[in-house]
Amino acid sequence: MTVESEVAHSSTWRELIALAAPGRDGRMLLDRLAAEVARGSGLDSLAVYAEEDGELRRRLQTGPATFPARAAAAPGAAGGEAWGRFEVPGGLLLYTPPVPAAELDHHAVLTLLCALRAVQLGGELKRHSFAASYRGVELQSLYDVGLAIARTLELDDLGDEVLLRAVSLLDARVGAFYLYEGGGYRLERTFGGEAAPRVAADAAGSAAGLLPGARHALAVPIEADGKRLGLLAVGDKESRHGVGAFPEADRRMLRLFANQVAIALENARLHRQALEKERLERELDLAAEIQRQLLPESLPDVPGFEFAGWNRSARHVGGDYYDVRGAADGGVHLVLGDVTGKGMPAALLVSTLHSALRLLLAARPFDAELFERLNRHIVESSAANKFITTAVARLEPGTGRLDYVNAGHNPPLIVDAHGEVTELPPGGIPLGMFGGARYRVATATLEPGALLCVYSDGITECEDPSGEEFGRERLSRLLRSAAGRPLADLVRAIDEAVVEFAAGAPQGDDQTVVLARRS
Amino acid sequence: MAEMLKVTTENRDGLAVVYTEGYINNQGGEEIARIAYQLIEAGHKSVLLNLAGTKIVNSIGISILIEIIEKMLEIEGRLAFCSLTPTIEKTFHIMGLAQYASIYPDEATAAQALVS
Repeated sequence: MTVESEVAHSSTWRELIALAAPGRDGRMLLDRLAAEVARGSGLDSLAVYAEEDGELRRRLQTGPATFPARAAAAPGAAGGEAWGRFEVPGGLLLYTPPVPAAELDHHAVLTLLCALRAVQLGGELKRHSFAASYRGVELQSLYDVGLAIARTLELDDLGDEVLLRAVSLLDARVGAFYLYEGGGYRLERTFGGEAAPRVAADAAGSAAGLLPGARHALAVPIEADGKRLGLLAVGDKESRHGVGAFPEADRRMLRLFANQVAIALENARLHRQALEKERLERELDLAAEIQRQLLPESLPDVPGFEFAGWNRSARHVGGDYYDVRGAADGGVHLVLGDVTGKGMPAALLVSTLHSALRLLLAARPFDAELFERLNRHIVESSAANKFITTAVARLEPGTGRLDYVNAGHNPPLIVDAHGEVTELPPGGIPLGMFGGARYRVATATLEPGALLCVYSDGITECEDPSGEEFGRERLSRLLRSAAGRPLADLVRAIDEAVVEFAAGAPQGDDQTVVLARRS
Repeated sequence: MAEMLKVTTENRDGLAVVYTEGYINNQGGEEIARIAYQLIEAGHKSVLLNLAGTKIVNSIGISILIEIIEKMLEIEGRLAFCSLTPTIEKTFHIMGLAQYASIYPDEATAAQALVS
């Protein structure tokens, strides 16, 4: 038999080859080879040491003798000590009885040490292979995290995803995820232990206080464009021997991870904003529809008079309101109200004014008491900073008598048949300011050919791009020029004049006009 | 208080099923290994790890699971996993666990394959 054939058929060689297979740690092979050394050399006990981290550590032993875990503590055979000693670079055999090394079965010893080295190398290879594979897991995790958290638009789900991924990626035992709020970080999620509920903005610099139960902590801020969004903290890096500090590579990994999280947090925030905007727009559309229904669908048909009304809101839902309505006694009520502010709160107050005024006008005489009651109702129904400038008039068609209350509103204008303009001054403060406010009913007359114009400040205070206001004078000129023309034409003229004057400047306030002309 | 893994076992028609709940880290992995080695000692050659209650596993936990797989291979037994989260399943594939241990979507499918 050739040497090659002998080696190939050797059970030891086959076992060494088999070491490469998964699930083989070589323990059985080494134990058998150690027993062969002992048997061939007439030994009772034998310990094999291999170099590891700069020292010789015991890897296996046979027989009843007790050998130290580290060979540095072992005395040599010389001097009558208990053990014999066989040294090779990177390895060592201690044995009993302490026969001279020359008497050992060198062939068996060499086979044992070679097998030990092969097992060691196999172990190292396995560790390196594991580390390389785990690097793949880390990279895949970073990629997955980017995808997963970019898809996760709910902040609750995002918090879980972020924290679990960070803890697992860094082999941490505990972790915490904070969101930046009000100049500090607020605890959003914890894993594996307690965390400080609220910490200062510079907490990432001193992670120790974040996770009180952890001996070692690492924290990095989550930032986008230099803006603080949150904080990630992990504690106690795990190994097979317990926990320790996080190496610098882990800080880099957590920073990379935090960058991904920053994108996700921004996505979640924008998504939340978009949903909120959508909800608000739906509400505003609904409110605008309701408010449109508050405006009169048609105006009273009264012989000898012509009426018109027009409104354009600055937003979906405006704060202006008008009404022209025939009363049961043959009179006609004309109303224009302008609520402070715009949007939903203003619309709600417009609705309150509409219903209260209709009820009171139908049930009471047109006197100061009516407006004082209306005022108290508005005070009780509205927020402290909400009030309504209102002009309400009662027209007696038979005589042209015009009783009116101007509650802090722009003075309505009467343009007589000769073009003379008269202002109807305030008779009280805006509705809703003080519960005890008093109001005065004043009287004017709408002579034949005269035109009454009640308008909101959105008309006269409309600004051009330079900031100049449209003003009452421009409005008066328009009203004077309307003699002989249908009121629908005048409304169109006012609309066009205001738009032309604004020259593209954004509309700052609701614009409303109510017109009544005696023929 | 660190997140501790809860491990329970059940015998399902001769198949040893190990249920985990929590973090498979160093401590959690050691606990699974302890239970698995007890089952091996008791003569079980097929062990199913149902990880439905586990959402997170770290590298130490994975290395211990690999040791259990190696132990099972030594005795020519089988370790299998079921009910993994997509993240954990992907991790097991990258780390090579899936080469030596079968992964099933749920316990019923796993039991059918392992018992037959």
